[in-house]
Amino acid sequence: MTLNAKRWIIAFLGFTFLASLLFVQYEEVTRRRVEVGLTSHSISIPASSKQCAECHGQLTPAILDHWKGSTHAEKGVGCVECHRAEKGDVDGFDHYGALIATVVTPRDCARCHAAVESEFARSHHAAAGNILASLDNTLAEQVEGSRTPFDPHGAPVAGRKAEPVNGMAFAQVGCQQCHGSKVALKATDGSKVTVDDLKPGPDGKPTNLDAVGKVLKDQNGKPMFDAGSWPNTGIGRLNLDGSKGSCSACHSRHDFSPRRARQPENCGKCHLGPDHPQKEIYEESKHGVAYRDLKDKMNLDAPKWVLGKDYTQAPTCATCHMSGNLRNGGRVTHDPGERISWTNRPPISLPMDTDAEHRVITEADSEKRAKLIADTAEAKRTRMKEVCSHCHTSDYVNLFYKQYDDFVALYNEKFAKPGKLIMDTLVKADLITKKQFDEPVEWSWYLLWHHEGRRARHGASMMAPDYAHWHGTFEVAERFYEHMIPQVREIVEKARAEGKTDAAKQVEDVVNEILNRPEHSYILKQK
Amino acid sequence: MQTPIGFVRERLPISGDRLRELTNEPVPHHLKRWWFALGGTPAYLFVVQIVTGILLAFYYQPAPGTAYESVRSITEDVAFGWFLRGVHRWGATLMVAAVILHQMRVFFTGAYRKPREINWMVGMCLLLCTLMLGFTGYSLVYEQLSFWGATVAANVAEGTPLIGGMLKRFLLAGDTYNDHTLPRFFILHAALLPMALAGLVVLHILIIRLQGVTELEFENEPEEEKQSHFNFFPDHFYTELMIGLLLMILLSALATIFPAAMGPRADPLTTPEIIKPEWYFYVAFRWLKLFSGTAAILSMGFIVFTMFFWPFVDAWIRRRTRFPEASVWIGAIAALAIIGLTLWEASVAH
Amino acid sequence: MAEAHRNETAADSEGVDRRTVLTGASGLAMAAGLVAGYGAFGAAAARYLYPSEPAKKRWLFVVEAARMKSGDSMVFRAPDGASVAIARQSESGNVGDFLALSSVCPHLGCQVHWEGAANRFFCPCHNGTFDPSGRATGGPPGEAGQSLLRYPLKLENGLLFVEVPDVKLAATDPVKPNSGEVC
Repeated sequence: MTLNAKRWIIAFLGFTFLASLLFVQYEEVTRRRVEVGLTSHSISIPASSKQCAECHGQLTPAILDHWKGSTHAEKGVGCVECHRAEKGDVDGFDHYGALIATVVTPRDCARCHAAVESEFARSHHAAAGNILASLDNTLAEQVEGSRTPFDPHGAPVAGRKAEPVNGMAFAQVGCQQCHGSKVALKATDGSKVTVDDLKPGPDGKPTNLDAVGKVLKDQNGKPMFDAGSWPNTGIGRLNLDGSKGSCSACHSRHDFSPRRARQPENCGKCHLGPDHPQKEIYEESKHGVAYRDLKDKMNLDAPKWVLGKDYTQAPTCATCHMSGNLRNGGRVTHDPGERISWTNRPPISLPMDTDAEHRVITEADSEKRAKLIADTAEAKRTRMKEVCSHCHTSDYVNLFYKQYDDFVALYNEKFAKPGKLIMDTLVKADLITKKQFDEPVEWSWYLLWHHEGRRARHGASMMAPDYAHWHGTFEVAERFYEHMIPQVREIVEKARAEGKTDAAKQVEDVVNEILNRPEHSYILKQK
Repeated sequence: MQTPIGFVRERLPISGDRLRELTNEPVPHHLKRWWFALGGTPAYLFVVQIVTGILLAFYYQPAPGTAYESVRSITEDVAFGWFLRGVHRWGATLMVAAVILHQMRVFFTGAYRKPREINWMVGMCLLLCTLMLGFTGYSLVYEQLSFWGATVAANVAEGTPLIGGMLKRFLLAGDTYNDHTLPRFFILHAALLPMALAGLVVLHILIIRLQGVTELEFENEPEEEKQSHFNFFPDHFYTELMIGLLLMILLSALATIFPAAMGPRADPLTTPEIIKPEWYFYVAFRWLKLFSGTAAILSMGFIVFTMFFWPFVDAWIRRRTRFPEASVWIGAIAALAIIGLTLWEASVAH
Repeated sequence: MAEAHRNETAADSEGVDRRTVLTGASGLAMAAGLVAGYGAFGAAAARYLYPSEPAKKRWLFVVEAARMKSGDSMVFRAPDGASVAIARQSESGNVGDFLALSSVCPHLGCQVHWEGAANRFFCPCHNGTFDPSGRATGGPPGEAGQSLLRYPLKLENGLLFVEVPDVKLAATDPVKPNSGEVC
């Protein structure tokens, strides 16, 4: 090889080396871009919370680690920013020099997230605590449990001390963990102190100082919670400061991950099971199937997560009911009722015309009704259609809604209204008591609308045919014809035997009128 | 009026002739064959390692609490950090490979024979230095392999008769891996071993210059080329430049296509299910599994000792037996055994 | 070394000696190739040594604006450890009410501190003094007409944010298991 050739080769290799380094540069740039997308965000513990982190990093390391992954950590919001209590707060206590409270309420969150809190406060979610005086509560507190504690009978279970039985345990662990508890502090006289006793003013500070005075505290001066009411992150929790709800019901502490709140599993803590299986219904639907398949591509970490911009693959619960989309300018709502046009919660479905207080209007007179309406069901439906229209044509959406409306109307007219009429007549005729769940027919009617009827309607609303039919209307029909009607006829016969002929006839006429309607003719011919 | 060149000339007595004299080592003709230029390759890679190593040391923090995070930061945060770390890592692998190939070439051409026995021994020291650099290098990352590799190595050293316990304590700066262990490895890797290696390289080259390169003849060469020489500069220098550039291209490609990854952070409480050292320690690793404790140490020590003094052993064989070329056969068998053990270790999980 | 000149046939035969090595097309090309390759490597190394994100900043939450009345002040500690004096000076309700001052003396970088009694910031290094708005009133910074550095502030939904240099918090030690110490 001549020297000249060698020199040319060296020149060639030198430039090849340069080319390989240019490739390295390209890789470097690509990598940076990818990294920016992933934003391994940096965090720093705010000075205000340094002391908290020092101890809790040891005592409860997971809380600190969880927080480190939060947007709060990114923006410098530490422990005391949320847990801070003010002088006069009934649950505030001095914790190594800082006045803090254990339970963080929506009022606390509203210090920064005021708009979100006010949306949430008017939602049906925030009112979930109202169940504490409802039919379902009778079931858990009285039928399943006992409103008063009672003594165990016979010898205690081996290994357990004999102590009074908390009859509210079923309600506390079952109902209240979704619906929310009435947060209670122990009182020195053995009673409890709740929001009812404290009567907080508009600023959340208690006005009844007698109640404040009798709060029982431990040796460190920390108010003691009643175990039946805390821990609790039910969405309609009744807090000591008068606020309703719990933000961590969906935005679980302490990372408050928007990513998690966007996933159906989050809603599935409560929206599942025999009475309202929304999550299972969603999973059966094409929407849920697409989500399972494409979850990884859905950009769930995006800061805004706007449908049509950040993702289009599939909708989750949040997509349709809460999240922003291109058509609505990316506006998120924390009132999931804003886009729901039927309420399928009561025995008979009602259109979601709501009044100024965001309550569903039950007024029948159309003139009075028009005056009350603040937000119509139609307006709500339009908002939902905005979501649908990202993936479906308007014809498709309108025809779907026609199918859904027809389904609800059929259920309402054929089973719900007749069922309610029969039950009301039975009470009016004094053949059953007003008391709930003490006669078999009451159980049948409850299962018909509260479980089977809702499954059917929810199945129809979210495109899950199996829930609409086999878990739904099939069981509704069976419940009506094979349980309810025979039970009613039995009551009628028993009444007649007892000589209550008028009452028996009153009920029988109603039942026969219903069954003589054309839509029931098939069954009538069989019997 | 004095020219700037004149100014320098007056103070630094350098002339073209002197430079020529210094660099114009006459190079035997056989070095035109590529595989005889293997000695320059590890030297060149050593320079690459020094350059990239110094750069890495700008960001590396040798303490158990920060080492892993700093390597992660070099790999993920610092501009081109991943690339320089990749080059350093692949440079190490290629350097070990080049040293071994160079040694095999020297061995099979009998270039270690009288009067070059001493340079062979210097070369053995270079090999051991290179391997130790490799070992201390991957101990610095403070990943699982680093931690358990160091722990295992220390316990192996403990198997040495008489001084085992002392060796282990020296290596770990205590009875177990502790806060002082990592700085120890760092100083070994970044200061002591490179200095030793550099000194040995100078010695190695000095001895070559004093003795001249071994001259070899090949049967298929034209007669006039035999015994002929060419100048180190520029001819052989160009060859070295080409090798250097080829190596840089290769290293860039390897560092980009197979970037240096990071294993899990060292966890003193959990030994990983499968733990393997770098490939060049597979032989020793397999050997340790075949023979237990002290036996393995002693046998390995004996093998290294024999390799070290091989020129004299070979001379004795040539003088006293009827097999003057026995070394070729012994070398071939040893090479096959090493390759076999390496492949064995590479192919099994445990 | 005496043999050094013994044989220069290879070089001589092609009529090349040291002086002409870098002349001619091939020589220039070789030099260019070497400079390009190793130069690019050197550039990458230089880029590596230059700090990656020198001026990355981040907006951090300070306080709800409503919690500070005119005349109130507080100290905010930035992630890099710098303390920032934040004060509210009026009640107009916009961000101009607030002032965020660096505690680094513009003279030679010492830490100033607030002296409530004298209503001034004081730098102990060379007796520099600053009024509550950060303007130097005495000492070397006063003579040079310097002021304390102001940090950018913004109000968002009634929340006050300050823009401070971001420091990546090293993952440091993994969380140590509870050592049983009582905190």
